[in-house]
Amino acid sequence: MIPLSHTLIVAAILFSISLAGMFLNRKNVLILLMCIELMLLSVNLNFIAFSHYLNDLGGQLFVFFILTVAAAEAAIGLAILVTMFRNRRTINVQNLDSLKG
Amino acid sequence: MGFLASMWDLVPDVLQTIIVILLKIVAILLPLILAVAYTTLAERKVIGFMQVRLGPNRVGPRGLFQPFADVLKLLIKEVVIPAESNRYLFLLAPMLALVPSFVAWSVIPFFDGGVLANINAGLLFLLALTSLGVYGIILAGWASNSKYAMLSALRAGAQVISYEIAMGFALVGVLMAAGDLNLTKIVNAQSGSIFSWFIWPLFGLFLVYFISGVAETNRAPFDVAEGESEIVAGFHVEYSGMGFALFFLAEYANMILISALTSLMFLGGWLSPFQGLTFLTDTPVIGWVFGNGIHWLFFKISIFLFLYLWFRATFPRYRYDQIMRLGWKVLIPVTIVWIFGEMIAVGLGWKPWL
Amino acid sequence: MTFVQFLFNIYAGITIAAAIGVVTVRNSVYAALCLILTFFSSAAIWILLEAEFLGIVLVLVYVGAVMVLFLFVIMMLDINREQLVERFIKYLPAGIAVAVIIAIEMIVVIQRSAFDTSEQYKAVAQNAPDYNNTEALGELLYTQYLYPFEIAAVVLLVAIIAAIMLTLRKRAVNVRSQDIEKQLRVRPEDRVRLVKMKSGQ
Repeated sequence: MIPLSHTLIVAAILFSISLAGMFLNRKNVLILLMCIELMLLSVNLNFIAFSHYLNDLGGQLFVFFILTVAAAEAAIGLAILVTMFRNRRTINVQNLDSLKG
Repeated sequence: MGFLASMWDLVPDVLQTIIVILLKIVAILLPLILAVAYTTLAERKVIGFMQVRLGPNRVGPRGLFQPFADVLKLLIKEVVIPAESNRYLFLLAPMLALVPSFVAWSVIPFFDGGVLANINAGLLFLLALTSLGVYGIILAGWASNSKYAMLSALRAGAQVISYEIAMGFALVGVLMAAGDLNLTKIVNAQSGSIFSWFIWPLFGLFLVYFISGVAETNRAPFDVAEGESEIVAGFHVEYSGMGFALFFLAEYANMILISALTSLMFLGGWLSPFQGLTFLTDTPVIGWVFGNGIHWLFFKISIFLFLYLWFRATFPRYRYDQIMRLGWKVLIPVTIVWIFGEMIAVGLGWKPWL
Repeated sequence: MTFVQFLFNIYAGITIAAAIGVVTVRNSVYAALCLILTFFSSAAIWILLEAEFLGIVLVLVYVGAVMVLFLFVIMMLDINREQLVERFIKYLPAGIAVAVIIAIEMIVVIQRSAFDTSEQYKAVAQNAPDYNNTEALGELLYTQYLYPFEIAAVVLLVAIIAAIMLTLRKRAVNVRSQDIEKQLRVRPEDRVRLVKMKSGQ
């Protein structure tokens, strides 16, 4: 039997790795998108672990919906990325400053 | 014999299980690889006869040893790794193409109970595995550092993903009719007589499934990924020797897999078409031929494999935009309408006809 | 250590190693491949935690579709790689510090709390052999969670339309594009004219 805390620790480590990834690759939008996917994955792992140990399928259904929304997010994010690259010829976050905000 | 049995008892339990599983895997994979080898020979022979020539006839009696000669030739060829290519991905790609098509056989039942892993989400597992095959293609194209390979990989990747949707919808129709995801139960749901096979109520889905299966394996007439006249040989243009042989093996293993799945899901797998006709199945000596059995599955698989070869000899190659149009604008709407009709039928409880 | 625990440790190790790969590798294609490995091994962990349906769906949706999309985009965009990684080192200490602090905080909280000692989490009922995860999820999804399910479907539809609209490019005016419907509707009499010629002229 896997103790619950082990799964939670794996999820916590995954989350902090993806957070570090946001710092390290703060210029490359593609890797930033991948880091978001990683974060969602770690959250999903928590949901599944609790669903298993509380014997409640609600957690798994939440993961189902997160997967749906994350897939939609990835599709739209990549579409925006492609449009952005077409207009600016770069995916560097720092060059996207035309709003001057 | 007694000595062997006592030796077997000495082996620890865990090891025993592992050995039995490994033996089962070998028993599935060895015939599969042999079948792949002889499918290549059959392809050349069948297309040869369709084009009024003989096909390979030099190696062995009637050319029967030709596949082994081919394998030997490919084995002793040099594996050329192109300059500026990505070495590790270049070597990894053929394996990534081959592995999913082999792993998928773990959930295919050959007769009632004759399956390596009888998992209850078998159909879903198959769908997930067939969607992994695209990585071998994409990585091969990218790692080769060649424009032709890259173009062909993008083409093949887009094609495989598009047709997967139609394929998945066709499978949804099957699982609605069977009410289960387990392949053994899907086949058993078709027992009764030849008229309870799913091909009759789901004829449209059957056509869609087989057409998208042909497109999924990048075979003619959907083989623009390797259209010789446009982009040389496709994503494996830079591969030689064993790398090429692995892609070849993967393509034919996928063909056999699609044929097996079509016969399991629409033609009742190992079920005999003479089911229920007791005067035939009770015939003294040859009665077993008319009964259910693994030979019917092999017979049905051969029919679909022959169809693959027949298509290749008959149809001209599709244009790429027309392939995409067929997938998205014809096959997917057909499946959606069919599933909608099936939904009404199931909702009204017309189960015997479904 | 039981066999399940042993498997869990292996898969968790692969997951974390691959995740580190995602954030440290310079080449975007390698990053995407590492992410695929992460998804695959965490799907294995999900299956160990008796969420078979979601494990397979993760492979089907993420590994089979979303990551292929990522790879397509990476391969098709002509990205200037040097420009994107030049200040990698500069942010390394800050990134690692924040990550380590957050990880330690979360692990301390998880270890100290009642997750391991409380009876509630100890008494995991093993599912019966004929338990079907797919069926159980489906029953819940189409009854209690019907409206969220429909909304999720609409979200996906919106995503499809938005992605198409964002990337659809208007071609230049004088491009000769093919109208396939029109091509297919052509009859021989529209195109072919049979001309009778007298011989010998």
